[in-house]
Amino acid sequence: MANVGIVGIGHTKFGNSSEYDLSDVMAYAATDALEDAHFLARRKEVDQVVVGNMASGLFCHQSAVASALVSRMDMEPVPAELVENGPASGASAIKIGYMAVASGMADIVLVVGGEVMRKVTGWLGTDYVATMLHTDAEYNMGLTLPGFGGMFTRMYMERYGMTERDLALLAVKNHANGAKNKYAHIQAPCTIEAIADGPDASVVNTYVAEPLRMYSTCPVSDGAAALLLVNMDSPKAKDFPKKPIRIAGIASATDTHCVHNRKDPLMLNAVRISAEKAYAMASLKPSDISFAELHDAFSILEFAISEEVGFFERGKSFLAVRKGETNIDGKMPINTSGGLKSKGHPVGATGVSQAVELVRQLRGEAEKGRQVHNPKYGMSVNFGGFGNNVVALICAKE
Amino acid sequence: MIDFSMYDQKEPKISAYKCQKCGSLYYPAPMVCSKCNTRRDPETNKGWETFDLEGPCTLLSWTRLWNLPEGYTKKNMLFGIVEFENGLRASGQLEVDDPKTGMSLHSTVIESNERPGNPVKVFLFTE
Repeated sequence: MANVGIVGIGHTKFGNSSEYDLSDVMAYAATDALEDAHFLARRKEVDQVVVGNMASGLFCHQSAVASALVSRMDMEPVPAELVENGPASGASAIKIGYMAVASGMADIVLVVGGEVMRKVTGWLGTDYVATMLHTDAEYNMGLTLPGFGGMFTRMYMERYGMTERDLALLAVKNHANGAKNKYAHIQAPCTIEAIADGPDASVVNTYVAEPLRMYSTCPVSDGAAALLLVNMDSPKAKDFPKKPIRIAGIASATDTHCVHNRKDPLMLNAVRISAEKAYAMASLKPSDISFAELHDAFSILEFAISEEVGFFERGKSFLAVRKGETNIDGKMPINTSGGLKSKGHPVGATGVSQAVELVRQLRGEAEKGRQVHNPKYGMSVNFGGFGNNVVALICAKE
Repeated sequence: MIDFSMYDQKEPKISAYKCQKCGSLYYPAPMVCSKCNTRRDPETNKGWETFDLEGPCTLLSWTRLWNLPEGYTKKNMLFGIVEFENGLRASGQLEVDDPKTGMSLHSTVIESNERPGNPVKVFLFTE
C-alpha cells in the first residue's frame, strides 16, 4: 500500500452559517485546503473528491452535495462521491479517501466534511439527529441522542463514582482550549464556579438529559473542514511545499444498533476495536500518542473513549482530569481544539475537523497557549450513532 | 352476520422473538439468529416463535429528558432501559415518581401519537 499524507487543510469558523448554502460552506473549507497545499490553480488535477455529510436532505432539503460541491469549486470533471456514516461521516470520508490513495486508484484526493444544521429549529434538529437510532425500538419510543448520553452518564457515575462536577471540570478544560481556537463555535472560557460550584450554577448550567447538563452537551453548529491527501510515494508528492503529515493508521468498527442489546452498555466495543486496529496498522501503542481529539458530543464520551483507546484504566479517566493530566501541558492532552463541546459539532464535518486539528498540532501551527509541546503522533476518534460506527485515526509527523 | 371485530379495542403489544432451533431470544426482531444462523423471514416467520414482551422488569438506567424532539408538548419526560426476567432488554418511557436504578417495574405498551405520522407502539415502564 502507498503511504498517504495530508498536504493541505481547510476549516470554516464553526457556528451559525444558516444563511449560507451547504455547498458554499463546504467549498470555503475546500478552497482553504487547496490554497494551503498551493494547489488551488491545479485543482482539476485532483483525482477524486470524497464528501462526508450526514443529513443534508433533512437539514437543508438538499441532496447530491458532492456533485454540487465540485461544480461550486469549478472542478468538473473530477469524480466526486458522498459518504454517509452519521456523525462519523467525516472520518469515514477520510478513510475512503485514504483507501483510494493507498490502493493506487488515486494520487491526490480532496476530502471535505460539512453540515449546516441550523436552518431548522432545535426541536427539528434533535429529531433529525435521532433518526440514526433504531426506528422501532429507540426512535419511536421518543428517545434522542442526549437521552442515551444521559442514561450512559448515569450508569458510569453509579459504577465508578464520577460526579457531575467531574463533567463540569471537563467542560472548563475544553472551553479553555476552544477559547484560543480561531475555528471554534464558542470561543469563551467558563469557570467551575459558574457552572458547578457557585450559587447560580444550576441556573447557568441547566439539565438537558439528567444527569447531563448544558455544559456537558455540545452545541448545534454549522461548518466544514477539508483535507488534501497525496500519495507520498508518487513523484507528485514533491509538488507540495508543506511536509506531509502521514496517516499512520485508520480503522473503523461497528456495534449493535440498539444500545440496550450490548452485553454491557458501558463498553464501547466499536471504539476499542477501531483503536486497536489503528494502533496495529501504525505499529504504535497508546503510550506513543502525544495528544488526542476524542468525540465529546457529551462530556461523558471523552471520559469513556479515553479509557477504551487505552489512555487510562477503565473508570479512572475522570481522576486524570481532576489532576490536569489532559490539559494542554498535561501527560495526555485531549481535545486541544476545544472538542465538540467548545469547537462545535456540525455532524458531517466533525471527523475531518478533528484531522485538521491533528495536522495543525503536528505542524506546530496551533494558536499560542494551546500548542502541544513537540507532538509526534496525534489520534482522533469520530463516534457515529451512539457508538455503533466509529472511526479511529492516527497521524504522524515524519 | 356482520363482523364487528374491527371495532374491538385491541391492546397494543410489542413482540419479542424466539429461535425454535436454538431457543435464543431477541428484541427487536433479528433477520438471522446470532447463535445458530437460522434465517427469519418477516413474511412467514417460519422457524420462529413470537411472544408479547411485557411484565416485570428491572430498571438499568434512566434519564429525565428536557430537550424533547419536535412534536412533544411536555416540558420533560422520563426514559429508561430495563431488563426483563427472560434477560431481554428494552428502552422506553418511564412513569414513576422517584426513579432509582435497580428498582422493580412493570412494562406495558401504549400507542403514542406525539410525532407526526401514524401512532407508534411505545413501552411504558411503571411501578
